[in-house]
Order: sequence, then structure tokens, then C-alpha cells
Amino acid sequence: MNRFVLADPRLCIGCYTCMPACVVVHREAGLQAYPRLTVTHTAHGTMPVQCRHCDDAPCAKVCPVAAITHREGMIFLNETVCIGCKMCAIACPFGAITPHGSGTDSQAIPTIPYLANGEEVTVEATAAARAAAVHPLLAWTAGERSIAVKCDLCHFLPEGPECVRVCPTKALCEVTEADLTREIEGRRQKATAEVGSLPSLWSERQA
Amino acid sequence: MDKVKTVCPYCGTGCGMYLHVKDGKVAEVTADPDHPVSQGELCVKGYFGFHHVADKRRLSTPLAMRNGVFEPLGWDAALNDIAGRLRTIVTESGPDSCAVFVSARATNEDNYAAQKFARAVLGTNNVDHCARLCHASTVAGLAMTLGSGAMTNSIAELGEITDVIFIIGSNTAECHPLIARHVVKAQQRGAKLIVADPRMTEMASKADLWIRTPLGHNIPLTNGMLHVIIKEKLYKPDFVKQHAVGFDDVVRAVEDFSPEAVERMSGIPAKQIVEAARLYAGAGNAAILYAMGVTQFSHGTANVASLSNLAVVTGQIGRPGAGVCPLRGQNNVQGACDLGGLPHVYPGYRPVTDPAVRTHFEQAWGASLSNRVGLKVTEVPHAIEQGKIRALVLFGENPLLSDPDSGELRHALDKLDLLVVADLFMTETARFADYVLPAAGWAEKDGTFTNTERRIQRVRPAVKPPGEARPDWWTFARLGTRMGYTGMGWQTAGEVWDEVRRVVPATFGGISYARIDKQDGLCWPCPDEAHPGTPILHRDGTFMRAGGQALLKAVLFDPKTLPEEKAKQFEAPLAGRIAEHPDAEYPFLLTTGRRVYHYHTGTMTRKSPLLDQIAPEELIELNPEDATALKVANRDFIKITTRRGHIVARAWVTERVPPKTVFGTFHFWEASSNELTSGDTLDPVCGIPEFKISAARVEKSSPAEAAKWLETIRDAYRVSLERATTARRLRPEPRVEESV
Ligand code: SF4
Ligand code: SF4
Repeated sequence: MNRFVLADPRLCIGCYTCMPACVVVHREAGLQAYPRLTVTHTAHGTMPVQCRHCDDAPCAKVCPVAAITHREGMIFLNETVCIGCKMCAIACPFGAITPHGSGTDSQAIPTIPYLANGEEVTVEATAAARAAAVHPLLAWTAGERSIAVKCDLCHFLPEGPECVRVCPTKALCEVTEADLTREIEGRRQKATAEVGSLPSLWSERQA
Repeated sequence: MDKVKTVCPYCGTGCGMYLHVKDGKVAEVTADPDHPVSQGELCVKGYFGFHHVADKRRLSTPLAMRNGVFEPLGWDAALNDIAGRLRTIVTESGPDSCAVFVSARATNEDNYAAQKFARAVLGTNNVDHCARLCHASTVAGLAMTLGSGAMTNSIAELGEITDVIFIIGSNTAECHPLIARHVVKAQQRGAKLIVADPRMTEMASKADLWIRTPLGHNIPLTNGMLHVIIKEKLYKPDFVKQHAVGFDDVVRAVEDFSPEAVERMSGIPAKQIVEAARLYAGAGNAAILYAMGVTQFSHGTANVASLSNLAVVTGQIGRPGAGVCPLRGQNNVQGACDLGGLPHVYPGYRPVTDPAVRTHFEQAWGASLSNRVGLKVTEVPHAIEQGKIRALVLFGENPLLSDPDSGELRHALDKLDLLVVADLFMTETARFADYVLPAAGWAEKDGTFTNTERRIQRVRPAVKPPGEARPDWWTFARLGTRMGYTGMGWQTAGEVWDEVRRVVPATFGGISYARIDKQDGLCWPCPDEAHPGTPILHRDGTFMRAGGQALLKAVLFDPKTLPEEKAKQFEAPLAGRIAEHPDAEYPFLLTTGRRVYHYHTGTMTRKSPLLDQIAPEELIELNPEDATALKVANRDFIKITTRRGHIVARAWVTERVPPKTVFGTFHFWEASSNELTSGDTLDPVCGIPEFKISAARVEKSSPAEAAKWLETIRDAYRVSLERATTARRLRPEPRVEESV
């Protein structure tokens, strides 16, 4: 079974700390400086949504260049192979893949020139600055072409996913096969105990 | 990498953090695992809001506006000029023609120095700051009823002890994330959460009971709860008898606020009122958390008094986990108030009108002091228009974006004879100044911040300030000295603090740098070095009010007209109404607030590429019902108009707001809600404006109109920028490289 990160909307306070934290570690790893999880608000609660690392991953199936593969207990997207066809984003049932790069809509907002010491300072377009740090093979510039981004479980960090580490309410957790097995066993125990504490259900029939 | 322990510069939670310094720059922030409040966690601003420190737009030299351009000049010339012009204005028009705005963002030391400068050097009590716009109602209301306008308990008690948490008018998750964490912790422990809020905030969706109070209808709810509590005998008669006065007034005032009557008045379901009353009153330990959703009304003080009524009548105060918790917005707004940044009190909330108090400060400061209560922030624009205020000195504040009705304020600032602004950046306000002084920021100076639980904590320098930037206490001290005053010869922030301890021993006497270097801060009052500090106020019902008893106040309310007839039956009741109601022309209501990823006017957070990436622009919350009617899709542009003006911004179509209500912030100058809010209707007691309700019109807009609007608003904020941009280059190359 693949590992994945899941949030608990009962604990999540929607503080967004996980999103820039994700950007920082990926930027440092030479990957796209874009959050791999998206805090999502609904009437039923708030939480970040990210890749579930499906065992039968529809994104991997539709990728025409095999940029998305199943490896080391996760679904891995190789950003340097991606051709930006966006099929994976359409296939993903959770909206966990973002084709990033072409969305200049909000970045296009003209900003006011700022003054320092009476002198006008031009601040480079943040988008270009963001692009400057990525892996050379990515050849990616904001506004020019898009590349798919999705959660990679911070596989390059020995401590595991950065979002899990920084979340102040510990709303995020990395779920492994062992965790899920333990949880399922616990629930079975609970279910058994619950039925066990009821008056016998079948006695009438057995009588 | 060096790491320096300090305190977060953003909200009033006051989380502990380490700044990691590399090559003289802050490279990373990590959480302080031992901090009593944040316990090893931080929020998005705490972790990622530090980029402004090394931003190349930082001011690094004093500037003077001359012939329409900002010209650099040395500190010496700047201080001489300013001192000279202030002296002339004082001689010509008297001390009260000057005003000083202190800063809830700066240290206690800075604030003490600034108010001392105003009082002892200029000779005026015209000292105020932006607390006027946030918790003025709390400072006035709780001081009146309990004897101290501060949070009664410490934050960690919520997570550990409190059984019922009643959050009213506080979007805790976004505005005080690390306090919300303690609320979540309490819930995990089985504590119950009641939330009263018109918006479906993250707290509302976590609540066991969420009451969607219509905007401005807090008093009907709290009075309704009191009605139930009295009728069902859920109150504590012994506690009330022993520790409070005025119970009969409250009984009579809430008589006609039966849950059914409240439901008729406000639409709040009677059942919810009863449930909330029983839950709150029946709790082992209950705490009320509130913020701007209570205070920012023309009846803010009445709102606050009704909450203190609730706590006192049920005896939910003065014990661990039980109390009234106003959540203060800014990192040091508590401290700015404590240190006398208010027009009616000296440091330690000692009234300027009390002759004995005045004598004490006159002796301590070696100057004769004014006995006239000064002007409030909200009164200053009008006083400028009338020619009563000629000079304004402010630091670490950006009133053009943070104060209501920006348009009116822009006019007023232009009329001043002298405007001096000290800040980290050329803010929207600074562009109107005659002198702009470069300030050292929180990561560059020594001092203390006081968080919302009254914990005084050490702030430490990690990096050097840019160029000639100086801490604000230094600036005021030098200015005072130039004006011939000898009582500000401090060499370090520590010396300023030691003077504070000497002058206000009852509150701060025992809080030395040495002590708070060893432990993570101390909560005032702390009179001597052996005193452990006071995390819980009004212990066992011994209230800080003169006489030791709490005052229960009759609080009356009618949405449309002040209930004057009923008010006659009481001695000094507090009465409220709502100033603006929807009508045919303005059928919507606009309410305002903050979002988690930006801070106030964005001067600091908008310089963080990380924060800017998740929130580059304003999003106005619009209910799906209204969106359908207006044919507006999510993220389409809409135009919001009030009697003050209009803005154009994108819509966020969401059930967070109820129908016919829109919500906006003041983080973005491109679309600041304060272009729309009103500064006309002020609370009669504390002068806070009614930020939280404006009647508004909402229309579908277009990208083309949005682009045009941007030009317009850019011009409005560029008035002096255009003059300024022609300034000659000051130095051959920018001081700091790209900070991304
Ligand atoms: S950091 Fe945690 S609490 Fe904050 S938005 Fe992310 S999951 Fe939610
Ligand atoms: S909760 Fe407040 S004090 Fe704590 S890290 Fe966030 S902004 Fe800073």
C-alpha cells in the first residue's frame, strides 16, 4: 500500500502554514516553488487537499510520457519529464494535481513602485524570481508553460513531509500501511466490544 | 548559523521563535519548543513573514520633503529641523497643537519614550495609537466593570483547564492561530465550544454550537443569555452578592430580552440562546474569547460590558480556566496601552486628570504636565481640518490604510504643517510626511513586547539595522534632548525599561530583563523581584476596581434607535444601536477583518514572496445566493460601494458570509475596505468607529473596470509618490540583494 498524507478538518484551523512550508523545501530541492497541497474551505470544514497516492493511480495511467510512476510506495511525478499536457490534473479525482506555470492571472497585477530612501526601487516580478531557483532541466518559467505539481511526500527529506512537521495543530499526518492496519484493527476491536455489550441479538432466533 | 531567541512580531499571541542568522541576514525562523504559549509551533506569519527585514525597500536614512522631493539628510540635521519646527509650533499654537501616535508594533521601550516625549517635552496628552481602532472598547469597558482592561487569564489555561469556551466576534483561527490551537486542544480533551459569529469561520465550523449572530447583534444574544441565566437561576448568587454591585440593574435591563423576544429582534433561534446560556453558566470553568467582532461598533463598550456581566453573574472569572479574554490584535498593543499610549492615562493606566498621579509623574519626569485629556486617534483628522492640530509625529503605524475612511484622512494629512513618520518602509502614510525617519525593526533591536495575556517578553536583536535606522526610543530621546529636555539620556533599551520599573513599580517593578532572560516572560502586575507575576487577574473575586467589587452595568440595545426611554430607568446605562442599515440604495452590509496570511496593512507581510504567493490579492467574500443573483462567478471582479467610496476586487463566492453580507480586509491598498468604512459614528465612551458594519452596494464588475480602478487608486496613494520618485539617487547600488 502507498503512503499518503491526510489532514483532519477537525484539527485544521486553516492557518496555511503548510503551504509555504511546502514551497520552501521544494524550492531548496530545486523543484518548482509551488505548494503541493491546497488549503480548501467548505461549509463542512477546512483542510489542505493533497495527493492520496492512489494504488491504482489514474494520473499515472493517463500520462502520455510516463512522467508519473509508481515507485517506493508512492506515486512519483518527475517534473523534468512532464510535457504540461494537463491530463493528470483532469484525471485526478481529488484535484490534487495543479498544472502550474501558466496561471499568470493574479501575478499580472501591476504593483506600485516602492520607495526606499526617496529612491524608487523596482522589485523584480516575483514570478521570475521564483522561477530562477528551479532545477535547470525543468526549463520552467512562470507564464510560459505549465508543469504538473503534486505531493511527493518530501521524499528527499529524512524527516518526512514538511507539512506534517510544521502544522501547529498536528492536523496533518502521514499514513502508512502499518498505521492504517492499526487503525482498522482498533475499529474492529471497538465494533466487537460494542456489539458484545448489547443484549444478545440473536437469542430469540436461537431459542 | 547563529540563532537568536525572540518573539514573533505579528499577532498578540506572542509566540516564541528563533531567528537563524546567516551572512548577517535572517535566513530561517524556527519555533521555540519551550515557549509557554506556542510550545514549539508557529503559524504561517511566524515562520514565513521575516523577509521584510532584509528587503531592499527598507529605509536607511532620514529624509526630508523639499520642493516636492524626498531628500536625504543626516540624523543631526533631521533632528534639529524637526525639533525646531516643533518648538515653533508649540510656541505659536500651544502644546495641544501637536499630537503623537505611538505604535502597537514597537517595543514597550519605544512606546514609553514616545509618550514621555509627548507629555514631558511637548507638554500634551495628545497621545494615542491604533488600539483606539481595535480594543478601545475593551480598555474602557473592562476597566469600568472589572478594574482592568486586559485579558484575565493565560492562554495555556484554555487548552488545559477550561471546560466551555465561548468565542464571540473573534476569528481566532485566522487572527490568533496559536490561541486557536489551544482551543482545539481543549476540544480534544472534551471541552465544549460555543461560537457566535456572523461568518462561518474555521472556529464556527468546529463549534459544538454555532450561533450565526446577524452583524451587530451581540447584545441581544448576551442579554438573552443573561435573561435565561437569571430566570433559570443558573447564576451564582453568593458570588454576585459578595463580589459585585449593580445586579438589580442587570436583572431589569435584561428583563425584556427573553429568548423569544431576541429571536423576534434578531432572528437568533431562541433555542440556541437557551442552549448557550446553560452550557456557559453550567460549566466548571468557562472562558469568553472575543475580539474585533465585539469591540468595533459604535456600541463596542456596551458589548464588552455585557460580556463582563455574563462572566461576573455566573462567577466564571478569577480562577484558572475561567475568565474574560479579549484577544489583542498586535504583538504589542497590550504594551502600548500599558505604557501610557493613550490620551487619558499615564503608564500603568494612571489617569492624567488625577492631581496626585500627575504630581508623581511630574516629579519622576522633572517636567510640568498637562491635566487635559488628549485627543483620540479618531478625533485627530477632524482637529487637523479645524486647524487645531498642526503637527503629528507617528511611528510604526500606517493610518492611511488602517483607519476608517481613507479619503478623509488623506485630506487631513495634507493640511498638517508638520508630519513626521518613522517606519521601516515608505508606507502609504509616510509618503505624505515632511520628514521620514528610518526605524530599526523587531529583529534589530532590544526591548520587550507584551502579549495578549500580559506576558512581558524579551525581544532581541539578531541582525544589524540597515544604514542609519535607529530604534524609536532612540529617536524620541534624541528629539527630546534637542528640544532642551534632560530626562531622556538613555543609552540602551534596558535603561528605558529600568525607568519604567521605577516609575510604575506596582505593575512592572519586579520584571527585570535579567528575570525574563531566564524565563519566558512574566505577566504583570509584578511589583517586586520576588513576585511570580500574575497570570490570573481578579483572583477569587477580588476585582481590581476600586473597592474590590465588579460593576454590573445595565446594557440596552435596539438595532434602529437608541432605547432612550428605557435608559432613563437606569443610572448611567450603556446603550447601543447600529448606525447604518441596509436600504434600497445600499442593500448589502459590508463587514471587515483580517486573513491569516497577511498582517494589517501588509507593510511587512506583503514583502514576503512566500506569503504573497498564497495571497497576492484581495478576495471579497460573497454568498453564493447573491453571486447567483448578480451573475458573479467565483473570482469574478465585483464593485463594492458605500457612502464613502468604492473599490473593485475579486469575489470569493462562499457560504462563509450570510446572504446580503460581504467581507473584506485592509491588507491590500489596491482594494482596502477602509476606503469604504465610516469614521463618523463613534462609540460615545471610547471613540471607536463602527468598522464592522457599513451599508453597501455590490455590483458585477469587469477586468477592464478593475484595471481602470487600479489606476485610480494608485493615483490616490501616489499623491506624494509622484513628487518623490524624482528624488536623486542616494547611493550607487541597492543596499540589499534580492531577498527571494
Ligand atoms: S498547517 Fe495544519 S492547521 Fe494550518 S492549514 Fe495546514 S493542515 Fe491546517
Ligand atoms: S500566532 Fe501570532 S504570534 Fe504566533 S506565530 Fe502566528 S502571528 Fe506570530
